[in-house]
Amino acid sequence: MNPTEDVGGLDPVREAALCSGERLEARVVVLWLLTGIARAAVMSFAMIFGVDALRVEAGLPSWAADAAWVLSALLVFTAVVAPPWTYATYRFAADDRLLSMRYGMLFVEDRRIPVPRMQHVDITRGPIERLFGLATLVVFTAGNEGSAFRVPGLSKARAEGLRDQILRARGLDVV
Amino acid sequence: MPPASAAVVLQGHLHPAVLLLRLLDGLRHAALPTLLGALAEPIFLVIGAAVFLLHVGYGLLRYLTFQYTLTTEELRTREGVLHRQERRIPIDRIQDVGFESTILRRALGLAVVRVETASGQGVEAALDSLSRVDAEGFRESLLALRSARARMPSCDATSDSQGVPAAAIAAPQPEWTVFVVDTGMLLLRGLSDLRFGAMAVAAFGAYEIADQLGVVTQLQGVGDSFFGWLSRFPWFIAAGMLLALVAAALALSAAFAAVGNLLAFHGFRLTLRQNALCCRFGLLTTRQKTLPRARIQRVRVEQTWLRRLLGVGVVRADSAGAGRGVDDEAPGGFDVLVPLARAARIDALLPAALPGLERAAAPVRRASPRLVARLVARGCIEATCAAVVLWPLYGSAALLGLCWAPIAWVRAVLLWHGIAFALFDEHLFLRSGAIGSYQVFVPTAKVQAVSLRRGPIQRLLGLAEVAVFVAGGPPTRVPDLDLPTAMALCGDLADRAAHAAWREWRTVAV
Repeated sequence: MNPTEDVGGLDPVREAALCSGERLEARVVVLWLLTGIARAAVMSFAMIFGVDALRVEAGLPSWAADAAWVLSALLVFTAVVAPPWTYATYRFAADDRLLSMRYGMLFVEDRRIPVPRMQHVDITRGPIERLFGLATLVVFTAGNEGSAFRVPGLSKARAEGLRDQILRARGLDVV
Repeated sequence: MPPASAAVVLQGHLHPAVLLLRLLDGLRHAALPTLLGALAEPIFLVIGAAVFLLHVGYGLLRYLTFQYTLTTEELRTREGVLHRQERRIPIDRIQDVGFESTILRRALGLAVVRVETASGQGVEAALDSLSRVDAEGFRESLLALRSARARMPSCDATSDSQGVPAAAIAAPQPEWTVFVVDTGMLLLRGLSDLRFGAMAVAAFGAYEIADQLGVVTQLQGVGDSFFGWLSRFPWFIAAGMLLALVAAALALSAAFAAVGNLLAFHGFRLTLRQNALCCRFGLLTTRQKTLPRARIQRVRVEQTWLRRLLGVGVVRADSAGAGRGVDDEAPGGFDVLVPLARAARIDALLPAALPGLERAAAPVRRASPRLVARLVARGCIEATCAAVVLWPLYGSAALLGLCWAPIAWVRAVLLWHGIAFALFDEHLFLRSGAIGSYQVFVPTAKVQAVSLRRGPIQRLLGLAEVAVFVAGGPPTRVPDLDLPTAMALCGDLADRAAHAAWREWRTVAV
């Protein structure tokens, strides 16, 4: 199916229901939760203890500690809510002409990269990603600002399949 | 190894007069230690001598070992004795050939040849320096080679390329003058240069230095006595004098800008030959630049509010690998196509840089009027936030923050009036700016990727922003279109980009 026409015919009101395209691997939510909560926890600890230690010396106002707690709670809340939300909104589609993806919680981004414009295609797998058997497909176009487009949370086999499909569409033999 | 078929077209060394430049360089670098040695510690004399000898020796070694070779396939430079370095740049990858010669180099009849590629790091190889004749010859050969390759796409790495006729390389090509600047325009460019921000930064820097040198306390004394002297006059005379001072400072900066522009862009001349644009300009340091039209990723026509009032504008071109922001100027004005010209003149000469624009016939469309609603909504949210945050600090004075909302409304209306876009046969056109006017032309064949973006307020109002990625600089953003319009534009651009890319592929892979 042609993704351009597919997306072009969407009614903005019903877009969520109509959204076609492939979804990411569901276990990526667990991975994002783990890394996100770990990051939020470290930042919260640093902030709360930092404010506590500096309150007397730097003469911070009395509400600084409360503010630190509120900010920490917000950080943790985002870290918990963001992964399932992102997962629920993430769609991608690839054919011989275009790689399209759509994602975002508040700011919805809808990107299209023509396959013949791609300069090189990478698959990156971090240590935790490897643990989960996941991979990220990174597609580069010419130029340097915003020229890398990523599709995270693919199974290793799917990422390799996508890469081979793109290379085949470009007329390069896949060995 | 280079393919056996790659015939050497041109080979040479740097000009011997470079040694004189290196000698002067050495002297300049050794000047400070020598001065210190003469005044204070004699050990600095030894350091000065060492610096001088190192500079001259390195310059000599570099001169002796540096060699450049231009073949039908690539440009090779080689230098170094112990640490041998060879650099190869395929001809197809060369974006731009420019010359630069400072006043000293001009006196010696030299020019620096700058070779740029799309790597985004600007100058890939600099031949410092060749004689002017050699430099011209170098550029001619390069241009001829490239146009010969363009005529014969089969001349790619795989096939033999000895078929490039030597006559085609030597024959001079006709040159069309596109634009010549006159001195009045350059003066106007200087006078309409609104660099208050830059002036403020410079003033702040000067203050920092003065502070470190301990001058500030003295300055404060001077300032106090000045204001004391000023307070003896009635207030309107004092205010008048202050205004006169400010006006004098502005006039001075304008005069500096005018002189600076005159020096930088004197005798600016834009010509077109064989699908490549050539600019040459400069009074003391002369610069030359060659930009193949096919490498242009985006052309910008900029009118700040003052220049818009005067009906004049600046034209710039981004080539691939331009990593700078939209507002930054390339050092030395290397991205300028037209330093300043009347708007009508600019419209007439744009097709020279963007072939196919003269056939443009699509209607120019506006952004959705809901843009105003979105910006006002955002302004209201910002104003409320400001008032709430400032309330504990300033009390009821924080309500002044609410004034931001009507300002946002006026700005939004102006912005909506400023925005226009059109999708021509081969170009995307976008005009934006509330008070000034900034036009962007993107050849649709150069589009790398497109993206449609919707924020929370935009989703409520059914709006979307289209971002167009090209290989030079940050993406061009078409703000606040109706969702269907935006989706159609997005799909159309992606289609055209894919088709253009396939066409390029076929011509290369024949």
